[in-house]
Amino acid sequence: MKKNNKTTPEGTKDFLFEECLTKRSIEKTVSGVFASRGFNEVITPGFEFYDVFDPDLSGIKQESMYKMTDKSGRIVVMRPDLTLPIARLTATRLQNLPKPIRLYYTQPVYRNCPGLSGRRDETTQAGAELLGAGGIRADLEMISTAVAALGGCLPGFRLELGHAGIFRALADRLPVSDDVREDIRVYIETKNYAALDALLNGLEKSETVSAIRKLPHLFGGEDVFEKAAFLGGDSELSPMLNYLHKIYGLISELGFPGRLMVDLGLVQRNSYYTNIVFSAYVEGFGDAVLFGGRYDSLLAYFGSPMPAIGFAVNIDDISEILIRRKMAPGVRPADVLVHGADGYEVNALNHAGSLAKKGLKCENSVFAGEDEAVAYAKACGIKRVDIVGKKIKTVVCCQ
Amino acid sequence: MKPLRIALTKGRLEENALSLFEKVGCDCTAARNKGRKLILPVDGGRFEVVLAKAADVITYVEYGVCDLGIVGKDTILEKGGNFFEVMDLGFGKCKFALAGPVGTDFFGGYSAKTVASKYPHVAGNYFESKAMDVKIIKIEGSVELAPLLGLSDAIVDIVETGTTLKENGLEVIEPICGISARLIVNPASMKLRKMEIESLTEKMEHVCKS
Repeated sequence: MKKNNKTTPEGTKDFLFEECLTKRSIEKTVSGVFASRGFNEVITPGFEFYDVFDPDLSGIKQESMYKMTDKSGRIVVMRPDLTLPIARLTATRLQNLPKPIRLYYTQPVYRNCPGLSGRRDETTQAGAELLGAGGIRADLEMISTAVAALGGCLPGFRLELGHAGIFRALADRLPVSDDVREDIRVYIETKNYAALDALLNGLEKSETVSAIRKLPHLFGGEDVFEKAAFLGGDSELSPMLNYLHKIYGLISELGFPGRLMVDLGLVQRNSYYTNIVFSAYVEGFGDAVLFGGRYDSLLAYFGSPMPAIGFAVNIDDISEILIRRKMAPGVRPADVLVHGADGYEVNALNHAGSLAKKGLKCENSVFAGEDEAVAYAKACGIKRVDIVGKKIKTVVCCQ
Repeated sequence: MKPLRIALTKGRLEENALSLFEKVGCDCTAARNKGRKLILPVDGGRFEVVLAKAADVITYVEYGVCDLGIVGKDTILEKGGNFFEVMDLGFGKCKFALAGPVGTDFFGGYSAKTVASKYPHVAGNYFESKAMDVKIIKIEGSVELAPLLGLSDAIVDIVETGTTLKENGLEVIEPICGISARLIVNPASMKLRKMEIESLTEKMEHVCKS
């Protein structure tokens, strides 16, 4: 039988050298921002019960999850999302802690993406969640944390704001089945104007229908709020719009350097978002690199209702962008190669140890002879070789 | 700023797409005399046009290596993907239909049927919506052959005029849905280059409506 022992499964990869360095340095920057703002790290299991990620709640399709069974035959999945485990954890084990609770994580997530699409099935996300706090202070804190975290890794990105409540409020007023409502949501999400129009034309004319028709067109800069002024008379929608506008103004005041955008047609499948949602885009990259929002009703599903907001940064995407832009750190050779003459092997290791303590990157020579060690150093770009015998002799290799 | 890059479906939709660009006032000389070049400047380099197979148009737009694409709804339904489908361009009109030998009672009886299609996904969704268990066989070439050779009871395929069906003793059993060319946009491009894209789509909308 053919053995699959020389390759990795589709959607996975080995990370080598500069890829690792870049990934780790991004993780360090992002988690540094989180930690400095009082967030504490948690690690959740790599696989959890399927029920935690119930598609009705998460919007994650059943077929996108890698499934297995546990020892009792119950379905478990490789975690396809990180907000849901955090909600589970907070609603159960942390429910009695004083609020708010600030958590962060850097973990891989797994999605079974369609074959041959070039999508990665294993990606690392770093995220922060602020649980047990609602209101503008919490929202601003999280957006500012997102800006600081992403800004620390990437210059120049655009932040986009939306409000999940606007579509929900409008859609709830339509006298249609849940399936039709889902169709409408998909058409708005994909800005499928033609299909949306066709569907809405079949409904009785009303202010709600005409507002929904306009929703996917309402994206861009601050002018969107002017264009959405027709919703201002609506007692349910106008507080949401005003709130979004207020946040928009305050973020500009926060000193956000990039461009800020608004999209009132942000109606993502992640149906757990309830209020403000935000995402970040980078020039020349087809997907959002950061995504988050407020999910005030999610924790109730796990038995402990509380408001919460969070976001996740896609570490692998940022790493790819930095490497592509040649902004990634390169792998540097060792500063010193330490070679022990016969009988001085231990002295050589001790010498290497003391150099390493001074902050030098030291490699130990495993070669039998001095000449071989020097040749190796030249080949690897190591500029200095310390030969440890009775005395220590330094050879400088010039390339 | 890089020029907006637009992926066009080669073949059936190509001529209509290029004349749409000409109607919105873009000079397509280079794209019309393309020779062997694959990336062609349009309107003095304001846009770049890439000619690709239908399914690849979606792939290029999904990844954002092309900002916009013109592709048939048939390919969109079959392949799916993550992009904005902003406009029905109105050309390349035809339909998906279930077809079989003249006079067959496809929906009669309870034995599971076999259906051949170049669009197994579309066929699968269609029968799923009818809660029917059907065996679907993917065929790459002339699907009409499958029922004639006795491989399948019916086919799901694109029907334009129905002439091919007629000449082979087949007929439409049930139309599934209409198809036409669509303008698709990468979501990040739509956000980052809104002005340019909207000024182009507004002009196109104007042309398509008139």
